Amino acid sequence: MIEVKNVYKYFDERCVNNDISLTIPQGSVFGLLGPNGAGKTTLIRMLATVTTPDRGEIWFNQQPLSSKHIPFIGYMPEERGLYRKMSVVDQLLYFAELKGLKRSEAKDRVKHWMKKMDILDWADKKMEELSKGMAQKVQFISTILHQPQFLILDEPFSGFDPVNADLIKELIIEMKNEGTTFLFSTHRMDNVEELCDNLAIIHQGEKILDGKIHDIRRSFFQNEYDLCFSENPMILTSGDSNNIPKNQENDIHTSTLSSQPDQLLFNQYKIQSMHSDYDNRFWLRVQTNQNQTFQTLLNDAFKTGKLIGFQEYVPSIHQIFVNQVTEKES
Amino acid sequence: MKNIWVVLKKEYLTRIKNKTFIVMTFLGPLLIALFYGGAIWVAIQGSEDSSLKKIYYQGDVKISAETALESNFILLDPPKYENQITEDIENEKIDGYLNIQDVDLISLDSTELISKKSFSLAELSNLERLFKNAIHEKALISLGINASQLAATDVKGGIKSLEINDAGETNSSGTGLRSGIGFGLAMIIYIFIFVYGSMVMRSAMEEKTNRIVEVIVSSVKPFELMMGKILGVALVGLTQFLAWIGLGIGLIFSLSFAFKSQLSEIPKTNSPVNPTAISGAASPLNGTADPMNSAATDAISQKLAIIEGFNTIPMGEILVIFVLFFLGGYLLYSSIFAAIGAAVNQETDVQQFMMPVSLPLIFGFIIAQTVVFQAPHGKLAQIFSMIPLTSPIVMAVRAPFDVPLIEVLASFGLLVLTFIFMVWLSAKIYRVGILMYGKKPSWKDFVKWIRQS
Repeated sequence: MIEVKNVYKYFDERCVNNDISLTIPQGSVFGLLGPNGAGKTTLIRMLATVTTPDRGEIWFNQQPLSSKHIPFIGYMPEERGLYRKMSVVDQLLYFAELKGLKRSEAKDRVKHWMKKMDILDWADKKMEELSKGMAQKVQFISTILHQPQFLILDEPFSGFDPVNADLIKELIIEMKNEGTTFLFSTHRMDNVEELCDNLAIIHQGEKILDGKIHDIRRSFFQNEYDLCFSENPMILTSGDSNNIPKNQENDIHTSTLSSQPDQLLFNQYKIQSMHSDYDNRFWLRVQTNQNQTFQTLLNDAFKTGKLIGFQEYVPSIHQIFVNQVTEKES
Repeated sequence: MKNIWVVLKKEYLTRIKNKTFIVMTFLGPLLIALFYGGAIWVAIQGSEDSSLKKIYYQGDVKISAETALESNFILLDPPKYENQITEDIENEKIDGYLNIQDVDLISLDSTELISKKSFSLAELSNLERLFKNAIHEKALISLGINASQLAATDVKGGIKSLEINDAGETNSSGTGLRSGIGFGLAMIIYIFIFVYGSMVMRSAMEEKTNRIVEVIVSSVKPFELMMGKILGVALVGLTQFLAWIGLGIGLIFSLSFAFKSQLSEIPKTNSPVNPTAISGAASPLNGTADPMNSAATDAISQKLAIIEGFNTIPMGEILVIFVLFFLGGYLLYSSIFAAIGAAVNQETDVQQFMMPVSLPLIFGFIIAQTVVFQAPHGKLAQIFSMIPLTSPIVMAVRAPFDVPLIEVLASFGLLVLTFIFMVWLSAKIYRVGILMYGKKPSWKDFVKWIRQS
């Protein structure tokens, strides 16, 4: 739906967006990540038709992006505000009309959304009389009143309390299911994993990574697995008798345990990390090499101790982000 | 274009609905009336009290108490001892001491007026005139002309300024009235540009500081936003003017109704008024003319001249010139003000940009006051009614004096061209400026932004 093709943007000879290309599929949520000053807002402003690229093109539904697409785009900038002296209704109607909505239609939609957001009673209040949470709701409504096909949200959850943030999240999912395309810029990685289908990381004006979240995480999978034991298997090997009867229930395991209890995991696999948690469970992250299969690891784990959890470790977006950015900087 | 209309509507309606606007629209004329009423009242009070001066006078020239009083002087004989005189002056029992006893009667040059507080220029010239007239009279009498002959030479009335129109008819030109109208119009333009221009500026600044503007410019082109603002605020101003004119007409009507009886009585009390005096011509040399009566006829003839002047002043032309230059001037300046509002981050940064921008306006107003009153078609007036930054005001002041059509057209053409250029330039500054936060902008930044966009 949106295609960014080799876009450059300069401020005073300084390149803020350097050869950025992105594709945002219809009906998806796209996360735009990057440290402060990476050029996210600059890119977003171009997508929102506030500014234009110095070089390169942006396409919207197979057409070069222009002012005629304004009614189909919704934009909530990071720095946002409303007219303090205007009433809630007047304000929303104004924004709707600017987006080309007819007044009668705008009125109906304003009413609908205010009801949905539970602020109908405040319709005639001036903005300065509203609490921050309510102002945020009004701000969000003003962004989506004209039912945009493409919604750009710059740090959408900054300044929102958790209740409102959840409300907005639900709305985003609802709208996504109706076919709306989203572009998000955020620092909150949990939101990215929760909501986004695709993402791109930009750093110092350049795109350093992009793709489907699932694919990106898979591509950073390094044959690491998390193993969780009910207690520290090391203690077990030192001959703590309390736990032996439990293990004896399973013949195979008891036999191996008694033979060479600790060496199996600790000697044959690369241990990335280990720690105990508050419930005294013991977590072990191991990496397999090419000769070691998932199956052998599982067998060896059973032999080592009372295994209660097992999963492959795929790095979180947060980790990937931090790694990528620090890697680029060093 | 549709967006300009949406912005215009919003800017207009939110201001019209504002309580301060409503209050000012109705209280404004009242306040102005109170202000002028107060000023006139103070002037009248002042003229009765302070300007009546008591002077010790000693001299050969005889001046009757009535003539002295007409010029607001009371002449008293000085006490015998000189130190008594100085003492009275110092204690402010008397305003001054004038001695022209020993002075040669043809020149007053070496005559001295001793006082504690110096006399105003007007008072001094009144005193001078009083004595010059008396000396003149005395000299004529000494040449053998008697008092009644002298009185008969007293010239009454004033020069009536007439001008020939295209049809070859002569009309009263009503110079004073024209100056008044021109000055009033210039004043209106001057105030309007400042008040509503800065309203545009604050509106742009509000959107920027409240961070609304980024949302807005994702829906509207910055140019449309700026034009909507400028036009919306212009309409607010026009609405206020229309309301004031309406209120004013209503007020005049009700006042004239209330005073109708009194007005109609004036001619009756002065029934034997010479018809020639009414038409403004000099009254005939009539030695026995009652001074009181002739003064009254003078006053009436003046009023009639004003009314007559009203009829001959080209009101339609003035109105057209006023509206054109009023709009042109406002649009030119408000586009500059809009760019300033978009560039700065806070109210305190405004000053450095406002100063150089408002200077031409203030300068135009000064030009309008001084030069145009003296020579409405002089070189200076012509030059400054061509410069677009001053022309709205200077042209308005000249409007009642039948400015040549070619000058009006040339000046207006220049104004329109400058306005278009300025809007184009301001839109560029506006476009970049509204998204620039952080440091205080400088003139250099303006140039950079213009190049950038």
